[in-house]
Amino acid sequence: MDLYRRIQTGKTGDVHMIVFKDKKILDDTVLDEIKKEITTLLGKATGPDVLLDFGNVEFMSSAMLGLLGQLHRKITTGHGRLKMCNIRPEIFQVFKLTNLDKLFSIHKDAPTALATFT
Amino acid sequence: MAGVDVIIAEDSRIQAKLLQKRLTDAGHAVRWAENGAEALKLARERRPDIIISDIEMPVMTGYEFCKALKSDPALRTVPLILLSTLSDPIDIIRGLDAGADNYVTKPYDADYLLGRMQALLQTPLGEPSGDGTLEVGIAGQTFRVQAGRQQVLNLLVSIFENAVAKNQELIVANQDLSIARDKLQQTNSELSDLNDRISTINARMVRDLEAAAKVQRSLLPPEDAALPGTAVAWRYVPCQDLAGDFLNFFPLDAEHAGLFVVDVSGHGVPSSLMAVTVGRFLSPKVSDQSLLVRQRADGGITVAAPAEVASQLNRLFQADEFSGLYFTILYGVLHLPTGRLDYVSGGHPALLHVPANGPPAYHGAEGFPIGFVPEFDYPQASLQLAPGDRIYLYSDGVTEAMDKDQNPLGDEALAACIASTRTRPLEASVADLLETVEQWCQPRGPLDDVSILGLEWRP
Repeated sequence: MDLYRRIQTGKTGDVHMIVFKDKKILDDTVLDEIKKEITTLLGKATGPDVLLDFGNVEFMSSAMLGLLGQLHRKITTGHGRLKMCNIRPEIFQVFKLTNLDKLFSIHKDAPTALATFT
Repeated sequence: MAGVDVIIAEDSRIQAKLLQKRLTDAGHAVRWAENGAEALKLARERRPDIIISDIEMPVMTGYEFCKALKSDPALRTVPLILLSTLSDPIDIIRGLDAGADNYVTKPYDADYLLGRMQALLQTPLGEPSGDGTLEVGIAGQTFRVQAGRQQVLNLLVSIFENAVAKNQELIVANQDLSIARDKLQQTNSELSDLNDRISTINARMVRDLEAAAKVQRSLLPPEDAALPGTAVAWRYVPCQDLAGDFLNFFPLDAEHAGLFVVDVSGHGVPSSLMAVTVGRFLSPKVSDQSLLVRQRADGGITVAAPAEVASQLNRLFQADEFSGLYFTILYGVLHLPTGRLDYVSGGHPALLHVPANGPPAYHGAEGFPIGFVPEFDYPQASLQLAPGDRIYLYSDGVTEAMDKDQNPLGDEALAACIASTRTRPLEASVADLLETVEQWCQPRGPLDDVSILGLEWRP
């Protein structure tokens, strides 16, 4: 049984894999739940390696970027690495529009992204 | 009451089973028949002590069965209880005519039925005394009924008892109703109090919201706002009462004008609060807070470079302190005598430049949204305007406006729209763009704040 409602989790080596389950991440409540679940998952780990998989996500509000920004800062401050993959073009547009495609480490798919962690 | 031999005539298997269980539990032997004909057969096989019969049954009804039983010399003294709904006075006549000994109204209480059985068994029925025909008038009709005195008496008593039982039920029901009415009155008055309180709270919230919306409107240009040597037109459509977008333009000193569009992530109260906070730092009036202008020691005014403004904002508004809220901004400073525009982008959609003679082109500046990356040096970009050139600043509510199939309006459609209105006045082109966005989002309308700021340089 899944522990989380909004995210599916797994681990490859030392990398925490987080797959967003939602097709639409628009609602503030969904956003809050995602934030809580990721916080619970990563707990007090300092500088974990994390891969976010957007494969299911078809729509995403710009507020989600704020969450990703917080996550990015939290992880990189602890000398961990945050990477993202499986972002469809419409979603990538949201990153591009805000220039954040240059801040975040974005990869085509999970294997490609995982290879860059070593 | 010692165990007796009972026949139940009842077409409903469930009803029969329930009654059978009660009777068996009371120590009686029970036989069940699905209809009158079958019950008659069972009675003839072995004479029962008492019969309980439903009325509505297929093949042979309760009345027919009763009549047949009472005309059978070997069985006529077996007492028979009819289970009737007694919904019509005619039912009584029919029962009387059929020779029923007792009525129990449905739905019945099992204990009551057992009591009726006992009473009937204790007063054995004699052979009919041959009293002959009774005439009964009901509802303007006269019925002739064959019935013995004992039967009439039994029926009378059972109907009376029924009436008493019903009356008792009515009294209890009445009391319940009366209690329920009192409760309802109390609940009603509580609800009314609650409603009053909700109305009060609601009125307060509406007032607060209106006040907040008013504060937010103060972030926008005043109605008579104008810049010398330019035409400026703008539209601002929040998707809720309170928005995360705002825009403005104003002179900064004798030669410079500032203009910007800001888009705080999210909507509603948190975003609008942040918008108001950000707005205070984007004031053209010299103050401790304004990041745009500074008083020099010689009394003159220094206009801050756009890149410096963005870097300062980024220092002030790190996203963590605002629970994940961040904003994008496109801020430009136009040198009015020369038409040189210096600008900076904090993750904001590119500005659209429409030359007086030539196709529109987008000009972006690289920079992350404000609050994302601590200590980021925002790069500044420049654009030289020629007389008659237009620039458009806008929020992503324009290009990311979704149609009903979730297709965004997009950069190309925006540029095409602006190009098509190039020959019309600036005001008309901005109005036209807003209409294009609103049309695109039919039937739901925009789901994001829409801000558009257009400027034409006319030295």
